[in-house]
Amino acid sequence: MDILHFDATLVVQIISFLLLVWILGKFAWKPLMNMMEKRRINIENNLIQAQEERQQAEKIKQEYQEEMRQARHEAQDLIARATKVSEERTAEILALAHEESEKIKKAALVDIERERDRAILEVKAQVADLSVAVAEKIIRQKLDMPNQEKLIEQFIQEVGEMPC
Amino acid sequence: MITDMEEELILWHFNNLTFHAKTLTMTWIVIAFMLIFCFLGVRHLTSGKPGKMQNILEWIIDFVRKLISDNMSYEKGRPLLSYLVTLIMFIFFSNMLGLIPNITFNLFEHFGVEAGQLNKIFEGPSLMSPTADVNTTIGLALLSITLVLFLGIKHKGVNYFKHFFEPIPVFFPIHVIDLLSKPMTLAFRLFGNIFAGEVLIKVILKMPESYDIWAFPAALPDTVWLAFSIFIGTIQAFVFTVLTTAYIGQAVTESH
Repeated sequence: MDILHFDATLVVQIISFLLLVWILGKFAWKPLMNMMEKRRINIENNLIQAQEERQQAEKIKQEYQEEMRQARHEAQDLIARATKVSEERTAEILALAHEESEKIKKAALVDIERERDRAILEVKAQVADLSVAVAEKIIRQKLDMPNQEKLIEQFIQEVGEMPC
Repeated sequence: MITDMEEELILWHFNNLTFHAKTLTMTWIVIAFMLIFCFLGVRHLTSGKPGKMQNILEWIIDFVRKLISDNMSYEKGRPLLSYLVTLIMFIFFSNMLGLIPNITFNLFEHFGVEAGQLNKIFEGPSLMSPTADVNTTIGLALLSITLVLFLGIKHKGVNYFKHFFEPIPVFFPIHVIDLLSKPMTLAFRLFGNIFAGEVLIKVILKMPESYDIWAFPAALPDTVWLAFSIFIGTIQAFVFTVLTTAYIGQAVTESH
């Protein structure tokens, strides 16, 4: 059969193909595969780097959060402290004011007491004066009993009209 | 009807050896094409963003790499990679060459160039697949089976031959037949598919002539068949490579 004709072509084909394998292997596949390997390593490194950077970012974020929390805590503390101080201060002021008012009240009471005593003393003095004047009048007029009574009544009336 | 299908075998003579002139010429065209193709691919090699051609080559390498790691540990298969990549590309481009119209337009015939029988080599409607010659496919299959034996012995030493006597020594002839049938099936599967495809192209193109009708009706079946042949050519290149890988995988992997 013609189509199944074997001859030296077989050998030439094998040699040609091996030659092709050798040439391509040396000049195409080897550099190409080296390049692919290089890229693989490159990508791997990039991935590792990205991982590291992400971890770092995570750490920084946590630090920030921690700081934030601390700051908020401190602010709350500060506010609480300020509130307490202000309350204390208010109480103090109130107490002081109370004391002051108490003092003023006491002083006023003392004043009033004194004024009253003086007024009483004055009234007493006036009463004494008037009594003397009454006695003077009675003695001066030497009146009989009925007139005397009339006079005393008149006098009392006069005393009632007097301003004291 | 179809009378002159039997083509005359064009032979080159050297001393008392004969060579298939057409097969060799087409093989060299394929080799030249592959060299150019790969040169374009590795011209601007970069580990950054690869160009189009580099991308294609990298895709092929990755494809074959995956085939290898499916069949054996990648450590053992790594040296095979450049052989298998070349193999799949060579068979693929060979299969495609037979589908390309005769781009010489029979100019060698026209100008009567008879050096090396070039006028006869570039004759007919299309070029020829080197894989449509049984010498090529047998050659490739022999290389495959040599690799199987070589790597089997390399990785397992004398133990490689043990499997010929398993499970009992009586099985030895069957194992021998198994080993011999591997290159046979590899070679004849590829040869048969591609050769039949080319014959059918010729038959389709001769059809209008045979029935003495206008040439145009052959265009549609020819287109369909060319498309199918591209599919077949791709599949056969893949099958040859996969089977070679699988045979080598069998030979180098420890069976327990």
